[in-house]
Amino acid sequence: MAHWRGYELLQAVDVVAGYPGRPSVLHGVSIEVPTGGFVGILGPNGSGKTTLLRALAGVIRPARGHIRLDGHDLTPLSRQALARRMAVVAQETHLAFDYSVLEVVMMGRYPHLATFEIEGPEDFSIAREAMRATGTLQLQERQFDTLSGGEKQRVIVAAALAQISGAADDGILLLDEPTVALDLAYQLELGELLRERQRRVPLTIAVSTHDLNFAANLCRTLVLLKDGHVLAAGSTDDVLTSEHIRELYDVEADVTRHSPTGRVIVIPVRRSPARSQS
Amino acid sequence: MTVALARRLTLTVSGFGLLAVAAILTSPLVGSTHISLRRAFDRAIPFADNVDAQIFFIARLPRTLAGALVGSLLASAGVVFQGLLRNPLATPFTLGVSAGAALGAMLAITFSWSFAWAGVSAAVAASFLGSLAAVGIVYALAQARHRGLSTNVLLLAGVTMNAFFSALILFVQYFADFAQTYRILRWLMGDLDISSYQPLVSALPLLIVSFVSFAWLARPLNLLSLGDESAETRGLNVVRAQRTAFVSASLATGAAVSVGGPVGFIGIVVPHLVRLIVGPDHRLVLPASALFGAAFLVGCDVLARTVMSPIELPVGVITALIGGPFFLWLLVRKR
Amino acid sequence: MRALVACLVLLALGGHGADRASGVPHQRGSRENLLFSVSSVSSVMRRSPLPQSAPVPGTAPKRIVSLIPAVTEMLFAIGAGPQVVAVSSFDRYPPEVTKLRRVGALLDPDVERILSLRPDLVAVYASQSDLRTQLERAKIPVYVYSHAGLADVFVTLKQIGERVGHARAAADLARSIQSRLDAIRRRVASRARPRTLVVFDREALTLRGIYASGGVGFIHDMVGAAGGDNVFADVKQQSVQATTELILARRPDAILELRGDPITAEMKSKEIDVWRALASLPAVRNSRVFFLDDQKTVVPGPRVAEGVDLIAHTLHPDAFK
Repeated sequence: MAHWRGYELLQAVDVVAGYPGRPSVLHGVSIEVPTGGFVGILGPNGSGKTTLLRALAGVIRPARGHIRLDGHDLTPLSRQALARRMAVVAQETHLAFDYSVLEVVMMGRYPHLATFEIEGPEDFSIAREAMRATGTLQLQERQFDTLSGGEKQRVIVAAALAQISGAADDGILLLDEPTVALDLAYQLELGELLRERQRRVPLTIAVSTHDLNFAANLCRTLVLLKDGHVLAAGSTDDVLTSEHIRELYDVEADVTRHSPTGRVIVIPVRRSPARSQS
Repeated sequence: MTVALARRLTLTVSGFGLLAVAAILTSPLVGSTHISLRRAFDRAIPFADNVDAQIFFIARLPRTLAGALVGSLLASAGVVFQGLLRNPLATPFTLGVSAGAALGAMLAITFSWSFAWAGVSAAVAASFLGSLAAVGIVYALAQARHRGLSTNVLLLAGVTMNAFFSALILFVQYFADFAQTYRILRWLMGDLDISSYQPLVSALPLLIVSFVSFAWLARPLNLLSLGDESAETRGLNVVRAQRTAFVSASLATGAAVSVGGPVGFIGIVVPHLVRLIVGPDHRLVLPASALFGAAFLVGCDVLARTVMSPIELPVGVITALIGGPFFLWLLVRKR
Repeated sequence: MRALVACLVLLALGGHGADRASGVPHQRGSRENLLFSVSSVSSVMRRSPLPQSAPVPGTAPKRIVSLIPAVTEMLFAIGAGPQVVAVSSFDRYPPEVTKLRRVGALLDPDVERILSLRPDLVAVYASQSDLRTQLERAKIPVYVYSHAGLADVFVTLKQIGERVGHARAAADLARSIQSRLDAIRRRVASRARPRTLVVFDREALTLRGIYASGGVGFIHDMVGAAGGDNVFADVKQQSVQATTELILARRPDAILELRGDPITAEMKSKEIDVWRALASLPAVRNSRVFFLDDQKTVVPGPRVAEGVDLIAHTLHPDAFK
């Protein structure tokens, strides 16, 4: 870990947040995303994973509590400044018009451009580099809408990487349910891509997912969310236990290590009998 | 390819610009009456006796400029509405602007409001106010339901307004006699015969404000096509961009309609043709559409004036005759 | 909505060239203008009267309904006024009609009301085919009105006179109108005929949407009789949508704006001022723009001679000193 600054890179502090009609999806959630970390946010549907991700990204403002980036509250930051540090990969992206892959990736550079500025050669090379890293360079002239789900996802990741490239400080990548629309092969590929990228450049990643194995494989720290509360948070080994899974999902599961790869895997066995709310 | 964006922009603007200039220069030369250009520009002949000059400078030139103004405003407003509503089939009239304008004009014509005001006739003023009213209602409705401007609510509100105003129009039409009804129908089909430069001068400030806003909106519109949240996480103040787009495009449409009536199909044919040629990047599509829109409407007006000479067809009939089949072809092609 | 609009416009445009029969002035509370109805294609060509339902021999009609203001005027002028029980919504002359019931007009005839009045003669427009069918089914005699030029006023007058049993009065009236017209023609015969633009409708206070008289129709005939040369005499239509270019090309020496509804003197001068935008026209330069707001000039009825007289006085004031 880099030098301790007294605070983590990205933090949620006692965040209460929600939407008109559902004002407290999150009831006082605190999480830490350390620099260079790979955090997984797990929980059943309705636990508030997406809300938390949105709050971290600055898309929704907490009703109470704070989101801090580098120790400073997010609120006064301009959207553009924030976008240069943090990029979000949404679950699905639909384009209204036929942009090419290159055009989509280049849109990641917009936060770096002044009002009437046009992208320059440096933006272009950053985009190419991001596409190379995601294996999408050969797709650059293709129309985005014609790609497969996996290819589209990789292009969006490339755009996100291009968006946070060149920041003097560490860039943050947030991914919302990235594996939901992907084939198995692409799931593996995405995981590999993210891990590889983190090895090569300073990058902090937070993923919200309900794919336990995906999280177990990639994330070094986990946050378990249930009904808008943090059930448990910490290193994957510590947090991903049968007890926690039972509490979180009402499912009996085996958590073991897969000897050939050394990976932690979770095997759901059966549903737990209904329990009274804690 | 992106390094070449600057070059593409230059190429696009010069190419379409040339087209627009060519259209504007040739249109005044053509008409139902034969005139001699040499005589028209002969300073020796006093203007009062120089019919060729009168026809050129009083009848044809303002008309050409009106066509260019209305065409460029409607085409670029179409692009902005399509970007805002994330729907390539949106037009400047989708959100009720033309229905409001039509109702205003209709009230003025049916009840014979006769006042003129800053050189602008009652029908024109009423149509502009009507379009603002319609747009205002749609905006208020869309705002009420959502923190920002929900595009779905916008669309629904717009379609509802169109239907409601159309019903009102039919109702008011009941009080109109046949000639008034005919006159309203002609107005609805567009009329560029302004015979003076005053309406152009009045519309100029609105044109400038709209175009400046559109220039600013080019990149935001690219981002908006990714979706509201995706645009937001890429650094766009989505609410501000949507508001700017909505207001500026509505003003542009209202100004165009008050000069030439609600000429249809420009706001959809031109953006589509332009996108086929230059691609979807709004930084190219917006200036190209403004220029091509000018050229297109001026061209349509030339046809309207000459095809059944000496009878003049309303320009909207020509744009419809071109636009209708084109639109059908688009729909068939997309499926 | 746009589809409806488009259909109506195409219909109107399609009918534009072909149908010029019923140029009936249509009064409306605040304005009066020429009406061009989409009537049967052949009627502009036809000079012989349309088939009328046979008049019942011996009995003159006692309960007449007239949907046509010109016909109403004729009925009263030949002494059949007391037999009129209802008129159109737009009738205003003679003053007696204000007390009569209204039964709609060209576009909205109130069939029920007409039937409830138990008429024995109804004067209808040629294009009101639905109404005609319904009246024929109810065995109510119908007079079908069609009209093109000044000459048809006399034809109509004669026919009406015969139908309502006042043939003599009608013939006398026709003669006096004719001689009056001839007198006017003689007066202005030696005068130079100004090229005249005759406008019967446009948008208030602007020069947009100008509708002028073409070379066909009673307004054209009236202006001709009054000593003016219609600038659009060569256009074989009752109305011409006059664009700026057309007006400039025709260079009218005089502009005559005809309206049926009275307007204030202030509005009149404002409306005349609007023509300053085309200051290069001879008519504007020589201050020969006139605004006549008298019904007589737009109703092809018994007062046509007075209408022509008014126009002649306007175009040739010194011929009447």
